[in-house]
Amino acid sequence: MSAGLLGRDADVLVRAEGLGKRYPVVGSRGDRLAALGRLLTGRGAAREVEVLAGIDLCVRRGQSLGVIGENGAGKSTLLKLVTGTLTPSAGRVETRARVGALLELGAGFHPEHSGRDNVRMAAAIHGLSGDALAAKLPEIEAFAGIGRYIDEPVKHYSSGMVVRLGFAVIAATRPDLLITDEVLAVGDEQFQKKCVRWIDGYLADGGTLLLVSHSLYHVQKLCREAIWLKSGRIEAAGDAHDVTRRYQAWLEQRDAGEREASAARAGGDEMRVLRLALDGREGTTAEPATGEALRVEVDLHSRDERPPRLSLGLLRADGTPVYGVDTAMDGVEAVPLGAGRFAFRCVFENLPLLPGEYVLRAFPMDAEGLRLFPPAEARVRVRGKTREFGLVRLPHRWEAP
Amino acid sequence: MRVASGPVLRELLAREWRERYQGSLLGAGWLALMPLAQLAVLAFVFGTLLPARGSAGALPYPMFLALGLFPWLLFANAVNRGVTAYLDNAGLIARVPLPASIYVHARVLASVAVDLGALLLVLVVLAAFGLRFDAAGALAAAVGLGVLVAMALALARIAALLQVFVRDLAAAVGQLLGLGFFLAPVLYERAQLPAPTAAALGWNPLVAPLEAIRRGLSGQGELPWGALLASAAAAALLLAGSVMLQRRAGRHLEDFL
Repeated sequence: MSAGLLGRDADVLVRAEGLGKRYPVVGSRGDRLAALGRLLTGRGAAREVEVLAGIDLCVRRGQSLGVIGENGAGKSTLLKLVTGTLTPSAGRVETRARVGALLELGAGFHPEHSGRDNVRMAAAIHGLSGDALAAKLPEIEAFAGIGRYIDEPVKHYSSGMVVRLGFAVIAATRPDLLITDEVLAVGDEQFQKKCVRWIDGYLADGGTLLLVSHSLYHVQKLCREAIWLKSGRIEAAGDAHDVTRRYQAWLEQRDAGEREASAARAGGDEMRVLRLALDGREGTTAEPATGEALRVEVDLHSRDERPPRLSLGLLRADGTPVYGVDTAMDGVEAVPLGAGRFAFRCVFENLPLLPGEYVLRAFPMDAEGLRLFPPAEARVRVRGKTREFGLVRLPHRWEAP
Repeated sequence: MRVASGPVLRELLAREWRERYQGSLLGAGWLALMPLAQLAVLAFVFGTLLPARGSAGALPYPMFLALGLFPWLLFANAVNRGVTAYLDNAGLIARVPLPASIYVHARVLASVAVDLGALLLVLVVLAAFGLRFDAAGALAAAVGLGVLVAMALALARIAALLQVFVRDLAAAVGQLLGLGFFLAPVLYERAQLPAPTAAALGWNPLVAPLEAIRRGLSGQGELPWGALLASAAAAALLLAGSVMLQRRAGRHLEDFL
């Protein structure tokens, strides 16, 4: 390994420049043979899929860096390139550290061999053998906490037990750079807490962490910085809270888009809300006070011109349901307006909601009341001052004992 | 990231050892029992049931056969065990940054160690039945074994790498070793064959080490030093070829596992 990329700063443990990885496509029978021919003649594979490109990265001693992104974004590939188990297709990466890596939910355990044999191999990989390993073995067994299973073949282990054992070896060897890929997603809550506590201590003692996780909570808790990989490229990098917030916002936006598309596929145009108005106004937040009336006006369109039903739901802003009712329950019929349009009017007299933010949703339903179509929603801000608790004001009276 | 290869190689060798004997009733006892049983079968079949002499000279045929068969098994077993080394260790290769060839080396070394032990045991038994050799013969046999091991290592390295790309290769290697068994002077002496055939077989680089071992340990026949040197050169070329192949095709090995 040359010192060129890492430079003279001994605190730089990992540096990558223009790092990229393309995997060969070897789906059909002859692909591997063709790939061999091309490798022997010094050419790349004929068909490749790019999973990582243009990654510039610098990890310094004591840094804790989270790597987040969707499945297939290139997170695991990046870790493998840093660990050295993959060869880059483009750019360079160099590492100057004793690395402890738990990649793809394991430490490279062989399923046919016992946990103890695999621990011996993992320890040898981390530079522990002979007396040093014998001294550490009780500590490893205690941390893993898998009891008599230590002498059973690893193929009999659950995925949680495999990770327990792998993490126990890492904990015993205390690497300079800890690389983990979704380790905290496996195993029971108690072991997760144990791992998080250990990583906290490891970082407090100056350890360096490269963590891949779908758990934004763990990234925020354990990492000071994060990078967000999107389609093999760095979409955002910086403070862990900022990056995870951006990623979370993107996820929510994407999921909302998918929900709308899915609703449209499910027949959203068969029955749809044309208009939702609160207190005669459309698209604004209604602001009734507790005890006042809330007037709801809904116009629906029914493609086959059969009269629809309407379901109304009131929720608190955090999603807690408050009240729901539909026209069939109250024996109310839709008023036809012509051309498949129907109107509903509903008034909540003496609104018993306590002051706060609420959402009103209007769901069209088919004539049989079997299918629910995508809703429209409007915000309701209930005005007022009160020291009462909860969602609604329940009629009550105090009596003399 | 650098991983010290030495301790890992030791663990891989220990793993090979466990894979062979773990779970069996006799365990490592098979190490001694297997060659002795094979030797007993050879003695019974070719000494009592079907007495054969071939052109083994004054050497009893079972002894002649044993001096060819056990070195051949050492070579063939090493190649056979090495072929699937990369595929069998794909899990480790994907997670641990070690030079991939270490997995082939561990397979070949473990196999050679076991078969070398068997050969030594057989020699002890044969010595009890009158086998005698001198220092020059022992040296020729040792060089012959060294050439066989080098050739097995080179072929195993090449075959293991190609097996990653051509998954049918393991089956083909088994068949080729079967053919090689008959094209090498294991069951017969080359002098028994028609002269052109014997001369043609002389181009087989496995012939000289096998003949050096048998002649060296039995003290019968001229030691083929010149041919042995040529075979050693062929083994060195094969090893160099395996290194070149590893550099070219092995660079992205993990992408194809």
